[in-house]
Amino acid sequence: MITAVRKPISEIKEMLAPYAKILVVGCGSCVAECASGGEKEVGLLSSALRMDAKASGKEIEVREMTLDRQCVYEFIDQLTDVIDGYDIVLSLACGAGVQAVAEVFPKVLIVPALNTTFLGETKEAGLWVENCRGCGDCKLGFFAAVCPVTRCAKGLFNGPCGGSRTDRCEVDPDVPCAWQLIVSRLEDMGRLDLLRKVHPPADWSKQQGKGPRKIRREDQRT
Amino acid sequence: MLDQKSAGLSITIFFCQQLDPNQDVNRRAVEGELGDQVRFFPMPCGGRVDSLHLMRALESGADKVYLVTCPEGACRYREGNTRAQKRIAYTQSLIEEIGLERERLESIVASADTSVTIDELARELLAREASIGHSPMKGNKQV
Repeated sequence: MITAVRKPISEIKEMLAPYAKILVVGCGSCVAECASGGEKEVGLLSSALRMDAKASGKEIEVREMTLDRQCVYEFIDQLTDVIDGYDIVLSLACGAGVQAVAEVFPKVLIVPALNTTFLGETKEAGLWVENCRGCGDCKLGFFAAVCPVTRCAKGLFNGPCGGSRTDRCEVDPDVPCAWQLIVSRLEDMGRLDLLRKVHPPADWSKQQGKGPRKIRREDQRT
Repeated sequence: MLDQKSAGLSITIFFCQQLDPNQDVNRRAVEGELGDQVRFFPMPCGGRVDSLHLMRALESGADKVYLVTCPEGACRYREGNTRAQKRIAYTQSLIEEIGLERERLESIVASADTSVTIDELARELLAREASIGHSPMKGNKQV
């Protein structure tokens, strides 16, 4: 899941300042799950914007909409008959969603209400944690499904560092030591032999340095 | 000292209906007497309240919004009342971002040792000192 957090309202207001007709568009997928961009958050932010405008004597029109996904054309198309009536679109999607909407409607100003943060897991109600960097070269099979690049503060492929205390990371005691988890799980599975393999440094060229990445599947294309 | 009733403040009360078995009759008595000055929203549990309810109430022109919950440890659904407090806190921080006073939202935890009826409580709240003025949202359409 892609996680995001709402920008401060002062920053959002600055982007919206010159405009009176505002379309606030949420996304019902990842950012709804992390309670930052779904239908409810669209309602909260829209209410806040309307109240702020009223208090400062400014007349604005704010319409609320939420698409199932803002990163897929078939859903974005629901804006087609609506968007022309507005001066600006405030998107509560991740950065991919904002850009996808802007791609479909290049003459309309689309601005983000969220800061996209990380690929994460819903750990418990109201708590989301980062556990994948999207490195493009997944090694979880060697590490009992615990990513040392993401979850070890030092990103060690060949750990542990030796600094953990009572299974907690020395960098952040709120976080369990990733390498403690890896070793414990492999021990439980009787697969400590996997740790004999020495891993070379990660090949970051699969993640960065070549511009935006693409996945192309001919069997999925029309 | 001007009380909230005399100051003409509109108050909205979200409350847990477990607090008062006769809430339906009791709140209607106050509504009949005071009209739009007081609006009640009975909820099956204080934990049912959402930040969006509170925001919409303020946007609709309420000068003050109360959320009345059961005492700590007395929630029929175990944690509804403590969750409700968190929603109040979140919404207070949101309205502060737009320059509204956090005091416009207030949580009331019912007393554990006395039974309370919602009409008595509403009158008590209306009799409190009007520490805030009319909301700048006044005049918005009630929704």
